[in-house]
Amino acid sequence: MLEILVGLIALSFGAGFVGALSGLGGGVFIVPALIIAAHMPMVVAIGASLISVVATSAGASVAFVRDGWTNLRVAMVLECATVTGAVVGALLTGMIPAVILEVLFALMMLQSAYFTLSKQDDVLVEHGDPLARRLQLVGDVPDDAGNLTHYETVNLPAGGALMVVAGLMSGLLGIGSGALKVIAMDYYMHIPLKVSSATSNFMIGVTAGAGALVFLARGNVSTSVAAPVALGVTAGALLGSRILPHADVRILRLVFVVILVLIAIEMGWRAIQGI
Amino acid sequence: MAASTDIHTQAAENEDRILRFWTPILLWTILLVAAVILVFGLILMTSKPDFYVARFHAAQAQRFVAKTSFAERVALAAHGDPHSVMTLGLYTLTLVPLARVAFSFLLFVKERDYAYIGFTAYVLTGLIVGMLLGRMG
Repeated sequence: MLEILVGLIALSFGAGFVGALSGLGGGVFIVPALIIAAHMPMVVAIGASLISVVATSAGASVAFVRDGWTNLRVAMVLECATVTGAVVGALLTGMIPAVILEVLFALMMLQSAYFTLSKQDDVLVEHGDPLARRLQLVGDVPDDAGNLTHYETVNLPAGGALMVVAGLMSGLLGIGSGALKVIAMDYYMHIPLKVSSATSNFMIGVTAGAGALVFLARGNVSTSVAAPVALGVTAGALLGSRILPHADVRILRLVFVVILVLIAIEMGWRAIQGI
Repeated sequence: MAASTDIHTQAAENEDRILRFWTPILLWTILLVAAVILVFGLILMTSKPDFYVARFHAAQAQRFVAKTSFAERVALAAHGDPHSVMTLGLYTLTLVPLARVAFSFLLFVKERDYAYIGFTAYVLTGLIVGMLLGRMG
């Protein structure tokens, strides 16, 4: 028994650590780790992952909130989309064959790898569109000199649509979908990257919580797996977020892209074998 | 226009204040729950090692044990059943971000911001509906 527990906690700790360092969250790494190394079925891995994502999101959001990067209004508007997607996704997980979930997971890994490589500078807009202004989706961010720069937002419908997809993927695959959320806010809605990341982190807990509640209510969460995984991922994420400011981000980025591509290949290969 | 800007600034300050107030409390809640899960996990490990191994292998085979109602789970936990305490701990972890939405809802009610009362109410309703549908499914 001890070796099972220690193995699960070590695996989860590693996933949480790498997830925090990469900025992609632990879910992206713990789901394949549980499937490949612990021989868990996809549904069990997803249920355990969703709960660990909730726990790590709360931990990571403290620093962002303290420094004033989180935009509560943007989060609340877009959570309507992510929660809808997450509940539908979690309900569908029980009906969709594991092969399709593995293919989707492989595609999400490739999307995360592309996202990691293609981060660009902010393109801020001074005048948002009428809907965004009406909903007060605005804010101020400090620039490099410490002066506050005002930002407004555009393309709320497009951002919202992508958030539904992000929620769907979260509920279906047990991940936080942070990469998709940041793309929706940063690329489509022109919210500054750091605000997008902080707000995405704030939202991930609610999105994953929506999926986790469906799994818990359906009895699809194994306490024996989810409890040590939640502990391990949370501890790994806390350590990773402490080390991140001192790490060489460029090298880390390349390492993570390689890991993500390897996971995508493994999950894709499993799907092919399952057909 | 100036009055409108003042109202927006005041609202932003209120939101910032409530975020800063609740976020550390929720983090400590998560750390406390994690500590409880750890302690009762160790109790389970020493008192019923075979039970844990059997549940782990059942999960590998995707055999979920019959659903236990929330009330039964609470009753078992009250009698010190470590597995039930750990399961309730997982429920608590999951409910933490929902508490944040609930606090935001109360904030927007206080500000009488009807659009955001609607958004937060929608999110809370979606979470409850998801749980009910999961229970039925």
